Amino acid sequence: MAAQPSRLELHDLQLAQAGRTVLEHVSGRFRDGAITALVGANGAGKSTLIQGIMGMLRPMKGKVLCAVPRERRAWLPQQLALDLTFPMSVEELVMTGSWPSHGALTGYCARHYRRGRDVMARLGISHLAHRPLGELSGGQRQRALIGRTLMQEAELLLLDEPFANVDAETVEVLMTVLREMAADGVTIIVVLHDMEQLARLAEEVVVLHHGHARWTTAQEVLRSQPSAADSARLVLGMPGVGA
Amino acid sequence: MIELLHEWLVAPFDYGFMRRALVAGLALSLAAPPMGVFLMLRGMSLIGDAMAHAILPGVALGFLLAGFSLPVMSLGGVLSGLLIAVLAGSVSQMTGHREDSAMASFFLISLAAGVMLVSLGGSSVDLTHVLFGSILAVNTTALLLIAAISSVIVITLALIFRALVVECLDPLFLRGQGMQGGLVHGIFLGLVVLNLTAGFQTLGTLMAVGLMMLPATTARFWSKRLEGLIGIAVGLAMIASTGGLLLSYHLSIPSGPAIILLAGVGYVLSALFGRHHSLIAKLRRHAAPLGTPEPH
Repeated sequence: MAAQPSRLELHDLQLAQAGRTVLEHVSGRFRDGAITALVGANGAGKSTLIQGIMGMLRPMKGKVLCAVPRERRAWLPQQLALDLTFPMSVEELVMTGSWPSHGALTGYCARHYRRGRDVMARLGISHLAHRPLGELSGGQRQRALIGRTLMQEAELLLLDEPFANVDAETVEVLMTVLREMAADGVTIIVVLHDMEQLARLAEEVVVLHHGHARWTTAQEVLRSQPSAADSARLVLGMPGVGA
Repeated sequence: MIELLHEWLVAPFDYGFMRRALVAGLALSLAAPPMGVFLMLRGMSLIGDAMAHAILPGVALGFLLAGFSLPVMSLGGVLSGLLIAVLAGSVSQMTGHREDSAMASFFLISLAAGVMLVSLGGSSVDLTHVLFGSILAVNTTALLLIAAISSVIVITLALIFRALVVECLDPLFLRGQGMQGGLVHGIFLGLVVLNLTAGFQTLGTLMAVGLMMLPATTARFWSKRLEGLIGIAVGLAMIASTGGLLLSYHLSIPSGPAIILLAGVGYVLSALFGRHHSLIAKLRRHAAPLGTPEPH
């Protein structure tokens, strides 16, 4: 695995929240074009690690080496700071994904609108293009937000429980799109609780436990969790996993 | 009939002071409402009020130093407004208290300081002038200043528009892009201060907020789209400015309150009869049948 190319490496990283160390001695590399699942019990530091990778939390020690320019990093937090009363349509939200690359001053041209329409069609939300964000279901909103990252041409995508409160059809659509993005070389890190989803989506897994991170593969995690073979909805990070 | 209309609507503007007042009102109506729309969308409708108080000590100090000179008073207003905004921001950052409590404390101090300063150096007439303005006394210098400030606001707003929209909608996305959300927010608050400074000569420090907020809150009853909100708010502000001036001329009432009250009438009517969220809209309860195409 060490020989694989990697745009994102962690070196002896120590991260703290409100003066309390959450993670320490985290070292490893995320493979380009792979989907890596981030698992661990509540409070294990999944969101903290994501914030550290996004550069929103300054490490106490160690460093994050990320070769992806900022405007190509996308993050979908679990609890969105999205103001749903803001008068904006789905199309406008998707289009904002393009402005970091084409500048804040230039307007959108026909090419951008075409790409925006393609993105919406790919996610099955073309019919919602003009609907205000506040009138969308959880699943529709998640599709629109993934649309924004597609528009952004993200090379690094971090998702915090993207399938929570999302309908089954949307889960299928998003999984397909995420696999396609990975195949195009996007490095994807996704926080997951659901073993079935992990089995279907992730190749590599980072298990967070007691403040440490362990790199492993999806097969290994599933092997150590026999009941997962029945695709039962088990929660990772319970005693016995990742220890 | 036409003669009557002419006499009501056009003839008053034969006077130079009415023409200047009209241009000043229209310039402010172009710049202020978009700021109001953004303040409203960010749940900061009352910040405008706080900032209006914050510019008062600077205006008063300018008045004490240079007499009734609009440029000096405006400069003082901008400086004290920005100072208070920065102070309130840093106190809330430092203490972790919410920004509105720091803002409230500072604007009350500002109001008292401003009133104190004006009373020390002038009469109660001066105080009334600063607090409530007099649009009919706008001279050419004042008009140029108002037009210049309004232009700066509209241009700057156009430049930061997209960043401002994203910052309102999803501040995390902006931060993720390495853009300083705080910078956009700071520029925006600076524009609010500038806007209120331009408005104080005509409407007074207290009522300048009216032309900013009332058209914006009224527009909410008529549109669900950002462009719609801004367009309607600007239109309403222009109607209120022009109508208020005419009412003030014909009925011999003070112009500032006439303009804001007219905007207020628009708000109340819209709350009752507007297209969205109004009383009538709530009573009408209408649902488009399935399969209806999405409205554009």
